[in-house]
Amino acid sequence: MKKLKIDTIFFIILITLLGLVNLINTNKPTVSNLENRALKTMPQFSLASVVRGSFQRDFEEYYSDTFIFRDNLVKISRDVNKIMAFLGPDISIVTSVEDVQLPPVIPEGEKETVFPAPTGSKANETNENFSPSNENTQTATPTPTPEPEKDYGDDPNVGYWMVVDGKAVQLFKFNKESIEYYAQVINKYNEKLGDGVKIYSMIPPTNGEFMQLKKYKSITDSQNDALGFLKTKLNDSIISVDVYDALNKHKDEYIYFRTDHHWTALGAYYGYCEFMRTKGDTPLSLDRFEKIDLGDFLGSSYTKTLDKSLEKNPDNIVAYKPLTNHKFTIYKGNEGTKADIIDLKYADDISKKYLVFISSGGATWSKVKTDINNGKKVLVIKDSFGNMLVPFLVPHYEEIYVVDSRFYNMNLTEKNIVEFVKDNGINEVVFCIYMEDVNWHKFMSGVENMLGSEN
Amino acid sequence: MWTFLNMETRGGIFLVFSSLFFLCIFLPICLGLYYINKNRTYRNWLLIITSLIFYAWGEPVWISILLLSTGFSYFSALLAEKYRGNVKGKIALIASIAGNLLILGFFKYSGFLIDNINGLIGTSIKVPEVGLPIGISFYTFKIISYIVDVYKGETEAQKSPFKLLLYVSLFHQLMAGPITRYKDISEAIDNRVETYQDFNYGVSRFIIGLGKKVILAGTAGKITDIFMGTDYTRLPLLGAWFGILMFALQLYFDFSGYSDMALGLGSMFGFKYKENFDYPYISKSAGEFWRRWHISLGSFFRDYVYIPLGGNRKFRIRNLFIVWGLTGLWHGADWNFIIWGLYYFVLLVIEKAFLLKLFEKLPAIISRLYLWVAVLVGWVFFYHNDIGQAFRFLGIMFGPGANGISSPELSIHFWNNAVFLIIALIGCTPVFSRIFKRLKEEGSKGKLIWFIETYGKPAFNIAVLVLSVIFLVGQSFSPFMYFKF
Repeated sequence: MKKLKIDTIFFIILITLLGLVNLINTNKPTVSNLENRALKTMPQFSLASVVRGSFQRDFEEYYSDTFIFRDNLVKISRDVNKIMAFLGPDISIVTSVEDVQLPPVIPEGEKETVFPAPTGSKANETNENFSPSNENTQTATPTPTPEPEKDYGDDPNVGYWMVVDGKAVQLFKFNKESIEYYAQVINKYNEKLGDGVKIYSMIPPTNGEFMQLKKYKSITDSQNDALGFLKTKLNDSIISVDVYDALNKHKDEYIYFRTDHHWTALGAYYGYCEFMRTKGDTPLSLDRFEKIDLGDFLGSSYTKTLDKSLEKNPDNIVAYKPLTNHKFTIYKGNEGTKADIIDLKYADDISKKYLVFISSGGATWSKVKTDINNGKKVLVIKDSFGNMLVPFLVPHYEEIYVVDSRFYNMNLTEKNIVEFVKDNGINEVVFCIYMEDVNWHKFMSGVENMLGSEN
Repeated sequence: MWTFLNMETRGGIFLVFSSLFFLCIFLPICLGLYYINKNRTYRNWLLIITSLIFYAWGEPVWISILLLSTGFSYFSALLAEKYRGNVKGKIALIASIAGNLLILGFFKYSGFLIDNINGLIGTSIKVPEVGLPIGISFYTFKIISYIVDVYKGETEAQKSPFKLLLYVSLFHQLMAGPITRYKDISEAIDNRVETYQDFNYGVSRFIIGLGKKVILAGTAGKITDIFMGTDYTRLPLLGAWFGILMFALQLYFDFSGYSDMALGLGSMFGFKYKENFDYPYISKSAGEFWRRWHISLGSFFRDYVYIPLGGNRKFRIRNLFIVWGLTGLWHGADWNFIIWGLYYFVLLVIEKAFLLKLFEKLPAIISRLYLWVAVLVGWVFFYHNDIGQAFRFLGIMFGPGANGISSPELSIHFWNNAVFLIIALIGCTPVFSRIFKRLKEEGSKGKLIWFIETYGKPAFNIAVLVLSVIFLVGQSFSPFMYFKF
């Protein structure tokens, strides 16, 4: 044979063409909407980075991140996988690993060193191959960071997602030790804060619990059992808010998103009602809030699974804005900025609409001040499930403080949580952390860290 | 994700054939520059330079070790040739082998050795923090085979150090084999003829390898991760079997795909390398398996360890023990690899003693089933660096430690991947090439054969290539959670 075969010619043309097109294409994207992340940028060339090999690695990542038609190709590869699964039960299980970057713990007496705020504290970029190199230690100040005396459980969280009937549900894997650890942490808060501060523990379950699928029921562990187990471990003076039962009564309503792992505002409303009843207060009816329809929403579960059945049937996201006069302030360190409790500047991007609640919930801390002078001051220690809850609390409190352990940084506020509670005259603390984080040691060690290192 | 290359690089960075950068930049430039000039010296130099750049893509410092080994062996081979048969020649030979093994030992095994010494006598010697030069296990063996062959007079010593460097560093087989012998390609260094036919074959072979690696090994790897290395208290019996089966498929397609790409690349540049895999999973015994799996490694140990030790003639059991212990150790500096190697020693001894004779009387399905179970059990040790975990996993596979027989999760994963499993299992067998061969032998199907050769195969290759590129891009998908939790 004296010539090139057709597949050979195709091969040569394809690789050359792809090479050229990627070279010529100067209009490289910097952000992937599909993945909610910034894409790798062209690394700076330097001899040192080449010798270390970091230039090469970054360049390869940059190259594949900015590959031409990347989003389309990603979607096609997803479709191919879906087609390959045609013998399956039309249910897919997706595993995703997530991590948080907790603020550093600094011993008392060294507070004056101001640490840079953790950038985008939801670092998902943890690369296993990444050895602690110079770049990392350089960002830290010369102050020696003390070794943590105990194991804080550094493992990332492995989430299991099941997509069934156009709905993504998060599966639960009961971890006894983590649940016990949650109890330990809350008990510790109870001891540190003393009798003057009432502590409430409310744990929204994940939507997997209310899945109406008999055949696969045993695929997820019972969160009710886990909550029952937890109750035996909490101090008697800690008041459990039984959100589980409250939601279970309404499980046929639209209380969870299909394309996102959070509860809907309606779900959070039922949680709020239960909280009020537990406290002996009367919850307001829903029509006492201003309903804002934010339109279509494709949330985190969609981003994780890229499932077509989710894409075809997006969620509708609704917010309820309190009508009580209030002032909402978000703080970076101790510097406050006025914000809207339902912050519509986040409502444009279909995948990020959950951020409208308490203006993303990513502040060092935030505060709602109302004109109700009943002396009730509450601190909500929360993960993002709590973002939905806070607006409903507004009509009942004089002041509401909101803290998220992933963003609260003692070095910036110069006080640990006990001091924070005392200084602000707070008389109630509510933990609103959803089941998956309660079940994750690392998240709860972040909550424990906020007590300060003298603990 | 685990890949065969990881064991060699410990998670370091290196250029792989199945990366977009290699495929769309490195390879086209390489091919273009190679074919614009017919001059042999130019082409050889181009291959040396591109190979060194390829090597430097990881950590450039390790080039020094590669050059050192090559330079040292260049001179000792000349001496070994000059003084062949007398003491001086033997000294050159032994010095060169020892030198190369010392380098390999220092980089690959010093940590393991010190750990064990510390554990054994309670010392606390610090483990030196050295990285591992990529591909060192492969090129060290290439160099050793070269020196020994020169000493034995099976090939002439290479007079040009650069041509020797070309042999050692050729990027096609630098990172992950095959462990080519110098005598097999020495002729090609000076006198190879690049033909259209070889080029066509090379591209086709490369595409098949790419597809195996990216599509099949990639998918099998994802499924493996769901079952293996997880919380074993939850794993049901069939889940363990499904997981280890997927790992076996991942290993095979990862490694044989890489070998296919190496062979294909060689062919594009006029080199012919020997086959490294021959459908190992259709074997009927562990002995046969190892004649079909990573052939270049098995034959290295046969020719340069087993036979010099006395082979079958004297101390056969001892020789087998040494060879299999070393085979295990070569795969990684950890006890689980040694156990994995010695496990095959035990199997081979049992097979030789009576099992093979027994199998002859039984239907073939029994021996095939035996081979699968034997190999899967072996991979359990290969996977788990922690021996305790390996036994826990075996406990699940064989009943006592299992959390039930099956689970709804397993059934979902199984049925979602049933099509993949069928494709992958067929991919482990030579069905298609055998059918095609039979058609050819029949002689009456000339038209059909012509059609398959002209349209069928190329269309298949194009589809595999396009799909591979799509999967490669798909692999870079890593969603970032803005408001998780």
